[in-house]
Amino acid sequence: MLKNKKLFLTRIKQQLGEKILSFTIRQPNETEIVVKKDQLAEVCRFLCQEKEGRLFTMVGSDEREFAGSFVLYYVFSFDETQQFITVKTMTPEEDSTFPSLAAEFPALNWYEREVKDLLGLRPQGHPDLRPLILHGDWPEEIHPLRKEFDVSQNAPRVKSRESFMQYEGDEVTEIPVGPIHAGIIEPGHFRFGAVGDTVLYLDARLFFTHRGLEKASEGMPLSKALFLAERICGVCALSHAVSFAQAVEAAAAVEIPLRAKYLRTLFLELERLYNHIGDVGNICAGFGFAVGVSQGTILREELLMLNERIAGHRYLRGIVDLGGVRFDIAHPDYADILSTLNKIEIGFTELVDILLSHDIAVDRMSKTGILTLKQANDLEVVGVAARASGRNIDIRRDQPYAAYDKVSFTVPVYTEGDVLARIRVRIDEVFQSISIIRQIFIQMPTGDVSVGLPPISPYARGMGWVESSKGETVHWLMTGPNETVERYRVRSATYSNWPAVALAVPGNIVPDFPLINKSFELCYACCDR
Amino acid sequence: MLEQMIQMAGWIVLQTAILLLLAPLVQGLIKKSKARLQSRIGPSILQPSYDIIKYLKKDAVISDKASWLTRVAPYIAFTAVITAGLLVPTFIVNAPLGVAGDIIMVIYLLGLARFFTALAALDAGSSFGGMGSSREMALGAIIEPAFLLALFTVCLLSGTTKLGQIVQVMSGKEWALIDPSYALAFLAMFIVVIAETGRIPVDNPDTHLELTMIHEGMLLEYSGRYLGLMLWAAEIKQLIMLNLFISAFLPWGMALDWSSIGAGAAIFIYGLKLALLGILLAVIETAYAKMRLYKVPKLLAASMALSVLAVIMRVVM
Repeated sequence: MLKNKKLFLTRIKQQLGEKILSFTIRQPNETEIVVKKDQLAEVCRFLCQEKEGRLFTMVGSDEREFAGSFVLYYVFSFDETQQFITVKTMTPEEDSTFPSLAAEFPALNWYEREVKDLLGLRPQGHPDLRPLILHGDWPEEIHPLRKEFDVSQNAPRVKSRESFMQYEGDEVTEIPVGPIHAGIIEPGHFRFGAVGDTVLYLDARLFFTHRGLEKASEGMPLSKALFLAERICGVCALSHAVSFAQAVEAAAAVEIPLRAKYLRTLFLELERLYNHIGDVGNICAGFGFAVGVSQGTILREELLMLNERIAGHRYLRGIVDLGGVRFDIAHPDYADILSTLNKIEIGFTELVDILLSHDIAVDRMSKTGILTLKQANDLEVVGVAARASGRNIDIRRDQPYAAYDKVSFTVPVYTEGDVLARIRVRIDEVFQSISIIRQIFIQMPTGDVSVGLPPISPYARGMGWVESSKGETVHWLMTGPNETVERYRVRSATYSNWPAVALAVPGNIVPDFPLINKSFELCYACCDR
Repeated sequence: MLEQMIQMAGWIVLQTAILLLLAPLVQGLIKKSKARLQSRIGPSILQPSYDIIKYLKKDAVISDKASWLTRVAPYIAFTAVITAGLLVPTFIVNAPLGVAGDIIMVIYLLGLARFFTALAALDAGSSFGGMGSSREMALGAIIEPAFLLALFTVCLLSGTTKLGQIVQVMSGKEWALIDPSYALAFLAMFIVVIAETGRIPVDNPDTHLELTMIHEGMLLEYSGRYLGLMLWAAEIKQLIMLNLFISAFLPWGMALDWSSIGAGAAIFIYGLKLALLGILLAVIETAYAKMRLYKVPKLLAASMALSVLAVIMRVVM
């Protein structure tokens, strides 16, 4: 493996040759390539198309104070050799533009618009320059992630620049929905162009819950920023906390104790379990199947109560620490977890049997909201939605973290790409998670559960990633002086997957939208930050 | 003559009171049964009544884009539904307004209420109202013929369209009533009851998902007393559908006159039938899921096919 990696990197270096300014192996699994702006497209194309890298995250950063320019990082993951390659390019303040690759790599659409909104760098040649993170009533010349922007500053509101798809012809009805909905749902504005009840096009306007968390974290001590990370989203609290902790540990080049790794794996799987089981129940609400909803809720509640008993928090907050976990669990907890899981396994099997043998339910789910493999690949869709469309990625297997390299599990992949495939992926993963937890208890080593962090040098970088119940969540971190945060970028699974929802809906009927939306089950808070 | 008129007036008041008070109770019973079937405790049976009292006390907020139609429609719908209710027998073989109209009158009074509800939903220009009314009218166009066909089978059985006489003829048949054509018409009518009361698998009365709504979608613009009236009208309509079903298919045990013992027993039996039907609706609603919108017409077509078979069987046998 190690030899493969070396060979792989040497070949990339040779093939790129003159196009790159520098080539540095920063960490055993991360290589940095610095390129000039005008070579960016070519290098990215080479990495994606010839080397089959996939876009992992893209970060824009204001480094004028210590590097003299804005910097863009494009991180690609190479699952086969378990490598990351970061392509770095600089853009000075005087020339605040960068070449847009969105037309070629649709997945970059949102990242580039985010850089434009928050840092004020213009992606040249971008096909859709509407505001994304900041809504149209935010002044166009104020960019919160520039260092001169003060968090306490109140930006004046201007006349809205929001615009939506324009339709011609009398047959098309425009149906605006939200951002305030009838149920207790997070805010999102959806605008359907429909002919009768058939959807032609869906415009989704998100980022109503953008709280500027990345800006708020600037200058915050790392130990405090962990709490911020934990509060990005309610149902992914642990995934975010672990991702952040892993990013810090990577920046500090610290290895956490084995027992802590196992404990993190255990809690991450518990988080996946309550989410997946709750989601399976919730999808039933999309077609009014009350038995599914109530059974799903009951099982989810059992798991939340289990969380509270062993970790003291229903949504698993306050467990992770930088360098390990905050507490250990004892033998009575093992027994409690295993016996609860036995109960859950029986109840969930029963629910799945009822659901998958229910004619109307299966009819409503199959062939509804199809996301094709091509669409999923183009948008770099992750998680459940990716695996339901035949995109075989799971970061637990592809770039193992915590103790995932020590347990065995299979990654379910379906090719239909419809609601039924997405619910099936979740169902299969529930049983895999239960099996993983059982393996953990067989293998669980003894020892410490945390390790102290060495001092972290300023401007060190680290990345942490977790396969949350929604898909891979990536935290990109650059430390500042005195162990603070300099730049923190959260790319949640939902950020990658939201654009896919808009592609899966057209062609379906309007009353099927809630079902399709539920089958992706994307958090807004995770995406909006 | 005067005595007869007083008697008539008294009967009208009594039946109106039954409709007004019983309708929310039936709704409460269905909700409670559903909750129990879904492993929930559920709200009290009286909750829908409390809700209506609450709404009637509240002031209404009305869109400034809405015309007088929005204000008037709830009263029209409510009156039409109550009038229809006075044409349908409950526990006694005749209805107070039985002399004034027949089965067809009932169907079209309900149609009138549907028409004004749909019109008012379009009035404020909200997209949910538009979607709700377009779906309601599209389905209504199929529900109404299915409804008529199912009732015609009964009319054919009894040789009249007058509900009072139908009930007399039907209950006179005792157990001989049950034959294959009765069973087919029973099923056909039951599907219509589900569709007309806006229940699963046709519509989902409990959903908060605006995009999937049919009947609820039309009420989204309403608030306060207008909403109260609309909800009450919907609950009364549900009771009327059950009354119709009981009159046509379960006429046993209905009182033939006002003798106190006969009427007392009949009221008890009527309550029992309503409760059983309510629970049956709750069971169906729990066991099924909502169908795809464009498959609903197929369900109603099935109802029509059953009715046609019932008619043929009646004529042939």
